[in-house]
Amino acid sequence: MIKNLTNYSLVILGILFFFSNIKILPAQTPSDAIMMKKGELCLALIYDYGSWDQYWEGATLRGNENIGTLTRTSLNPMIAAGITDKIGVLIALPYISTKSSGGQMAGVNGFQDINLAVKAEILNQKLGKGKLALLATGAFATPATNYLSDYMPYSLGLGAPEGTLRGILQYKLDFGLYARVSLAHLWRGLTEVERDYYYNNGSYYTTLMDVPNAWNYNGVVGIWLLDESLKVEANYLAMTSTSGDDVRKYNMGQPTNKMDFGQVGGSAQYYFGESKGLGLLVYYSQMIQGRNMGKFTNLGLGLTYQFKVIK
Amino acid sequence: MKKHILFLLLSFCLAVFIVVSCEQDLPTWAEYSAYQFSGLDEDGGTWKSTLLTAPDQIVVAAPEDITSASYLAELASVKTATASLSGDQQEAVNYWTNNSLLRWNEIALELAAKYNLIPGPNPDGTYTLPNPATPDGPPPFPFAHPPYTSRALAYLSVAQFDGLITAWHYKYTYNRPAPYEVDNGIVSAYNSGLPSFPSDGAVIAAASRNILSAMFPLEKDYLAAKAEEHLSSLIWAGENVESDITAGEYIGVEVAKLALARAGSDGMKNAQTPKPKSDSIKAAAFARFGWQWDNMESPVRPVGLTPLFGKVKMWNVPTVEEVRPVPPPAPGSPEFEADVAELKEIAENLTNEQRKIANWWSDGLGTYTPPGHWNRLAKELSIEYKLNPLRTARTFAYMNMAIMDAGISCWDAKYYYHYPRPIQTIPGFKTILGTPNFPSYTSGHSTFSSAAATVLGYIFPQEAADCEAWALEAAMSRVYGGIHYRFDAEVGIDQGKKVASYTVAVAQADGAD
Repeated sequence: MIKNLTNYSLVILGILFFFSNIKILPAQTPSDAIMMKKGELCLALIYDYGSWDQYWEGATLRGNENIGTLTRTSLNPMIAAGITDKIGVLIALPYISTKSSGGQMAGVNGFQDINLAVKAEILNQKLGKGKLALLATGAFATPATNYLSDYMPYSLGLGAPEGTLRGILQYKLDFGLYARVSLAHLWRGLTEVERDYYYNNGSYYTTLMDVPNAWNYNGVVGIWLLDESLKVEANYLAMTSTSGDDVRKYNMGQPTNKMDFGQVGGSAQYYFGESKGLGLLVYYSQMIQGRNMGKFTNLGLGLTYQFKVIK
Repeated sequence: MKKHILFLLLSFCLAVFIVVSCEQDLPTWAEYSAYQFSGLDEDGGTWKSTLLTAPDQIVVAAPEDITSASYLAELASVKTATASLSGDQQEAVNYWTNNSLLRWNEIALELAAKYNLIPGPNPDGTYTLPNPATPDGPPPFPFAHPPYTSRALAYLSVAQFDGLITAWHYKYTYNRPAPYEVDNGIVSAYNSGLPSFPSDGAVIAAASRNILSAMFPLEKDYLAAKAEEHLSSLIWAGENVESDITAGEYIGVEVAKLALARAGSDGMKNAQTPKPKSDSIKAAAFARFGWQWDNMESPVRPVGLTPLFGKVKMWNVPTVEEVRPVPPPAPGSPEFEADVAELKEIAENLTNEQRKIANWWSDGLGTYTPPGHWNRLAKELSIEYKLNPLRTARTFAYMNMAIMDAGISCWDAKYYYHYPRPIQTIPGFKTILGTPNFPSYTSGHSTFSSAAATVLGYIFPQEAADCEAWALEAAMSRVYGGIHYRFDAEVGIDQGKKVASYTVAVAQADGAD
């Protein structure tokens, strides 16, 4: 019971890895395998500090002294709730600030996309010396403000509606070690920009830009320690756009770009006290490959608080 | 449990549907089809041309009679071709339409956008400039910045216009009927009503291919394929027979030679100066006025963009000095401080409307540039007013000559006054648009736009007020973007108007009004 409570705040972590990137993938659904009980609520507030001083122009990694180091900080308030023992919902709305150390371009700040996610447990059964779980999540996100997506690399997000469907498979040994994989597809719509001509391997006479759809892969190995007060994870996260153009030489990116990345990271989450309702989260991640993206390093710190609202 | 899963799946399907249903085919060219011309301008062969001294300077012999065996053979092959068009052939006919000049203008804008990329620094901090002698680069040639693009468009449009005046001269001298008029069995795609010899479409195809191949040498194959398809489409449309096309191509090739001969000696090849020359221009301005513009990039670009574009040969203004604006207010003067205060205020409290205007007219790196933006607007007006190809060519030729003249005058002012940009004079100033690599005074956007609007207002009097409002908006967009002072914009507007008045005077006397 207690474990179920505390575990759910880990849901937040899966989302964070996305919110922290230059290219936000709004409403990336929770990618862990844990469900909350009916009537439970989890509040979270996470601060993320992301930065890069090199970016991939197409597949070529380069620096740019007129950007210097780009920093992107975000504050992410989130609420998750258990609707039934098998279905949970989550809502999040990050506030993001961007700026660069070089050049004279102005950074921006503001609320980004409102994210809604629903997660369902399809299967959870004993298998050998552990448990096998299969889950599915669906999510939807859309810009909450009129931020300009066509202002790379400072823009707050891609400015397009996005739907995500994810499948999650986890095997957890009884002594606390577990492995998890998930696969998601992201459908992205159009973003409206403030010019009616742009080049995307040819002329486009419209204020609308097509944001590429994408596949997302996630692999995690983790373990519970200290009498299930501390959880430690290592993860790999990758995204591949299914279409899109490359950033042209020494040119600004735009939302039509094919943005890909691979990222490794680690996290730890500690739960205080006997009730274990309050949790502290730290994580770190580093992109190791990419295309048309800043090579982000992210550091995050968060508090989670979980409690039962309906008996 | 099952019920819940079903609900989840249904909600998700709805979300995906909302996202996917917004997807649509986004337009990659102007969506218009062949239209009935508002007039044919039968006397167009008498209009005054720019490069040619007389309409028969390019000699085109009389065509074979329509009763001749050779003509009848050509006619038969048109009939065969039009009777069984493939899907691709029909698509080509629909794409090129009966006003193909607009398509070639679009192609030019696309190439401008493709090549409007500023060379980045080398790993050692130096910069390499595109070299027409080794166009492959790196960096590839050209860097199609606004002055370069204004010039490419001017030569393109002038060649098209002179070529069509020649074509009109022979069309109404020889009066050869179009295939569909000779043989009722031939269905024309657009019944333009023009005598078919020489083919106006072929003039446009050949002239455009050759001018653009010179301006964008790496695109020769692409342009040749476009021209090939265009020429074939004239047969598939039932508009021309082969000998119409051959004669039209000949005119196009000859007029392009004249245009490119002028381009070869207009001074553009000296516009991007070596550093010592650039330094001496800067030092002269500092000696004259006590200020100088500096590039603020890292690493610093050693030379600004085309310091001697102001010395390029103008089309319709006798000397660049006679349109040079008055000096700008000195940094530190009350007028200067007032405009700086305005810039700070705008940056502090930028409205959504101001941000949108700044971005709407930005036309920066990677786009078709401000001259391209005005060509796009001219295209839309040409379609709206159902101009024939000759009137269309006239519109673009005068507008693009005025735009290039405006650019030359603006660059003269930029490097004569060598005035620093806001990011140089205001410590810590941040902008939402990138500051270009050339001095501030006067604003290129303002000057280009005002010149374009003045010519368009002359051609389309009912649109004059709108055009002027767009130009003013384009001018202010640079102030909202934080990269120009208000005086750059306002003086640029006056300068553009003044420069364009020379072109309008030429247009008023060309016999078309």
